Amino acid sequence: MSVPFSGTLRRSGGIVSAIGKQLKSINLKGVKRITVQLDPFAENVKSTREFFFLLSTPKVVQTNPKCVVKSDIVCDRQPASIKFSLIDAAQEQAQVKEIRFNSSNLNTLELLELCNKHVSSLAPPEEVTNKVLTKAEKQKLGGGSKKVLKKK
Amino acid sequence: MANVMQRSLPLASTRSPVLQFLRFRGKINIQRPKEPHYERARVIAVTQPKYPELPKARSCFKTRAERTQEQLVNPYNEIIAREVRNWLNHSQLVAIFHMNSISSEEVFRVRVQLHKQNLHLKSYGRQIISQAVTGTQYEAIMPLFHSNHCIVFSPNQQQIGQLLKITRRVPQMVLLGGIVEQTLLSRNELVAYAQMPGLQGAQAQLVQTLNLAAGQLVQHLQAHQGNLVQVLDVHAKGTGSGNSTETTDES
Repeated sequence: MSVPFSGTLRRSGGIVSAIGKQLKSINLKGVKRITVQLDPFAENVKSTREFFFLLSTPKVVQTNPKCVVKSDIVCDRQPASIKFSLIDAAQEQAQVKEIRFNSSNLNTLELLELCNKHVSSLAPPEEVTNKVLTKAEKQKLGGGSKKVLKKK
Repeated sequence: MANVMQRSLPLASTRSPVLQFLRFRGKINIQRPKEPHYERARVIAVTQPKYPELPKARSCFKTRAERTQEQLVNPYNEIIAREVRNWLNHSQLVAIFHMNSISSEEVFRVRVQLHKQNLHLKSYGRQIISQAVTGTQYEAIMPLFHSNHCIVFSPNQQQIGQLLKITRRVPQMVLLGGIVEQTLLSRNELVAYAQMPGLQGAQAQLVQTLNLAAGQLVQHLQAHQGNLVQVLDVHAKGTGSGNSTETTDES
């Protein structure tokens, strides 16, 4: 009497590796400016602050060095929010000028997932630049028939 | 006869020697032990020790790490908490920043710049700060330490301007709030405090406000005379320039 296998073969690495996985696929090429508005004394700002920190890491910044991450610290206990102002190409694609996350009830992983879903997908595809061919590659492409045998 | 001989002289017999040498020169084998005989294995299995497990109710929702090891309270935390309390009590200015990802070279540069202005950059863990601060008057700053942070202490509250000037050049340090003379201030309030003139400036402003009423009265009394003097001045200048133009025309 055997029951078919159900469940996982590998155990998950926990929330930290999930966050790491999301961070690897984040792409800010379609964003002009990110504004993180938070009140440090309000409730539930931990996830916003962590997300702000993760946006400042070198790998994420490298995806788009022109994108500016600004913080707006307010004192009126309003809920935290993150605003992504899109570049023109991304605006046309998404039909919106900016994307806003109300992050007071989202945790860091959810914020990253939403960011990947809405923002990273708007990144314009990379243009293929002309590759410089080496001598050997040129010979291979062009002079396949003309083989000069070297006499030892 | 032969049996008697065998029984009486055990050392001489060749069949079962009393001393059997097992090891001779070479290395003994302990890494690949021989499978024990069934009977021996049975005895070993029965005699294995069984350790009692914790009652499930207590350990049910704990993770494996929590079940296997308990963290002991480290008395060094108390010493560091005392240091934090000391810093808080003896600094007139305490500023708390959110730290983004920053390289240690930059941190060192900022630390040196701040040190030159008698501002001390410190960072402690949240557990230690909570241990230091809960129950004291500084309990309200606890929400600021949920994420990456650093604290700047200064015994002199006049340095707020210098502090803001230095940290303006560091985009990774985001001012969240601070304590000035035992008063908790938010970020905007701190910036406004920095804009305020010093004590002498404030005193001068007070004197000016006090003299305002009397000054206005004096101004009203002198208004007409001043006006007349100004008009005469303009008139004198006008006739003077008219005379000079007449002389040039004549010549």
